[in-house]
Amino acid sequence: MKQSLSPGARRRRAGYLFCLPGLAFLALFLAYPLLYNVWTSVHDVDLGQLLGGDERFNGAENYRAVLDDPAFWHSVRLSLVFTLGSLLFQFLIGFALALLFARPFPFNGLLRSLLLVAWLLPPVVSGTLFRWLLDAESGAYNALFEAVGLGTLSHDWLTDPSTSMAGVIFANIWVGVPFNMLLLLVGLHTIDPQLHEAAAIDGASAWQRFRHITLPLMRPVAVTVLLLGLVYTFKVFDIVFVMTGGGPVDATRVLSLYVYEVFFTFFRFGQGAAAGLLLLVVPLLAGVFYVRRLRREEEAPAGGAV
Amino acid sequence: MRPPRHRWLLTALATVITAAFLLPVYWMVKTSLTPPDRILTPTPQWVPTPVTGENYSTALGYAGLTRALLNSLVISCGVVALTLLLGVPLAYALARVRMRGSGTMVLALLVAQLPPAIVLAAPLFILERRVGLSDTYLGLIAADTTLTLPFTVIVLRPVMRSVSPELEEAALVDGCGLPGVLLRVVLPLMVPGVVAAAGLSFLIGWGEFLFGLTLAHGPDVQPVTVILNAFIGQHGTSWGALMATATLISVPVVCVFAAFQRFIVGGLTAGSVRS
Repeated sequence: MKQSLSPGARRRRAGYLFCLPGLAFLALFLAYPLLYNVWTSVHDVDLGQLLGGDERFNGAENYRAVLDDPAFWHSVRLSLVFTLGSLLFQFLIGFALALLFARPFPFNGLLRSLLLVAWLLPPVVSGTLFRWLLDAESGAYNALFEAVGLGTLSHDWLTDPSTSMAGVIFANIWVGVPFNMLLLLVGLHTIDPQLHEAAAIDGASAWQRFRHITLPLMRPVAVTVLLLGLVYTFKVFDIVFVMTGGGPVDATRVLSLYVYEVFFTFFRFGQGAAAGLLLLVVPLLAGVFYVRRLRREEEAPAGGAV
Repeated sequence: MRPPRHRWLLTALATVITAAFLLPVYWMVKTSLTPPDRILTPTPQWVPTPVTGENYSTALGYAGLTRALLNSLVISCGVVALTLLLGVPLAYALARVRMRGSGTMVLALLVAQLPPAIVLAAPLFILERRVGLSDTYLGLIAADTTLTLPFTVIVLRPVMRSVSPELEEAALVDGCGLPGVLLRVVLPLMVPGVVAAAGLSFLIGWGEFLFGLTLAHGPDVQPVTVILNAFIGQHGTSWGALMATATLISVPVVCVFAAFQRFIVGGLTAGSVRS
């Protein structure tokens, strides 16, 4: 039988067989649950139907319940603040560090790797750690403020509703900076050093070179990093959950925590599924934008940027 | 070329920044080694005196910590095994075999990384319970692998592309089937890529929290991240023991990263920017 197939066809058949286990797994554990979520979101499901039963179709009722819930809109606003606040500082600090580490100096690689440790620590560990660092009585940051004469800044960050979001964002910036730095560094390394040398010979100052060479050439990488950052930051659950659990009151209950509460605290599965799908909107939009940009870049003639 | 003295100035600057940035990590380890009665003081000590292992014995004495560490080890090793088993052939086929639909598959793998874990945890909570997978290692390993598998394929595909096709063709002519080519020719050449994928999968499995929180209900399978979170509630102000636990969780992370650092950084950047 094997003889009757051409080598190309045999190779293709083997290729499909290679894909099968992985794709079957993803279909079963990723695609099916997500579709099941869609199904749940248009049915009346709660704890009573956990093991199956007569789930009643209720159309858009779950969505209406979520959209009518002021707590949902409160969470939307918090997610926006959390995401924009985190992204802005992660990116700016990451970019500044990337500019520093793009220059050759002794121990560059070692120091860069040490910075990455912050990003690799499990978010639960970072969250616990920052809970302790921001502790009112004996936390390191308040002690640091006292030590440098800024004692008035010392504050009970996480238990005051007006500053708890700032505390959570602060921790999340710390987690995200190394990742931003790493990706932006890759981008900086793709810039031809001759461009800088030529401009320097022509008398361009360091600022002019940064403004007219580095910035424009980094634009595509910067957009990619910001899009990835948007997707990652919008998803964040662990660090907020561990640091504040959404509180005090509801001052840090970002969308992912809202979905968690509806689903796992109140066991309103239908409504939780609907809220979850609404949470998916932002990453999906970012994803569509990202893929379209990739397509456009592939179609553009190679080396068009230089 | 700039004079070397200038470069050492940059090193000094970068060292100061790195030290300031890693202050939280130092504080974690420092607190874990400080005697409990010296931790909650109005003016904290910067250096633990005397250094003590007391917090570690307290933490390991808390119910469930050793078991949870073991659970996390089992889960993350399971994640690595399942991810490589499914991901290596998939990445190879997508990199090397001209198939209808491979472009769509790559796109699907990119999209698969978008959903927030909570959107997946919710339906998995119901579905795994119905098929008896909730509260089992396998249920958690499978859930974690939905995070690592798409990522792994995206990282490995470009690496597989870089293996010279002539080598493969020679092996095919010699009568090797496609599995033989993958195992004997391609895989040995892409050890760095596979190591990066394995290391990253381990780190993701080890640090995963939300699936552990929602899909495991008892101490028999709960990962150590869930236990650390529970400790905050149970032993709220025992910061010494909490930081000892956090340090214990961080040690394998730092070890895996130190061992495979070169591969992991390469794999990360390849997966995120170029794909």
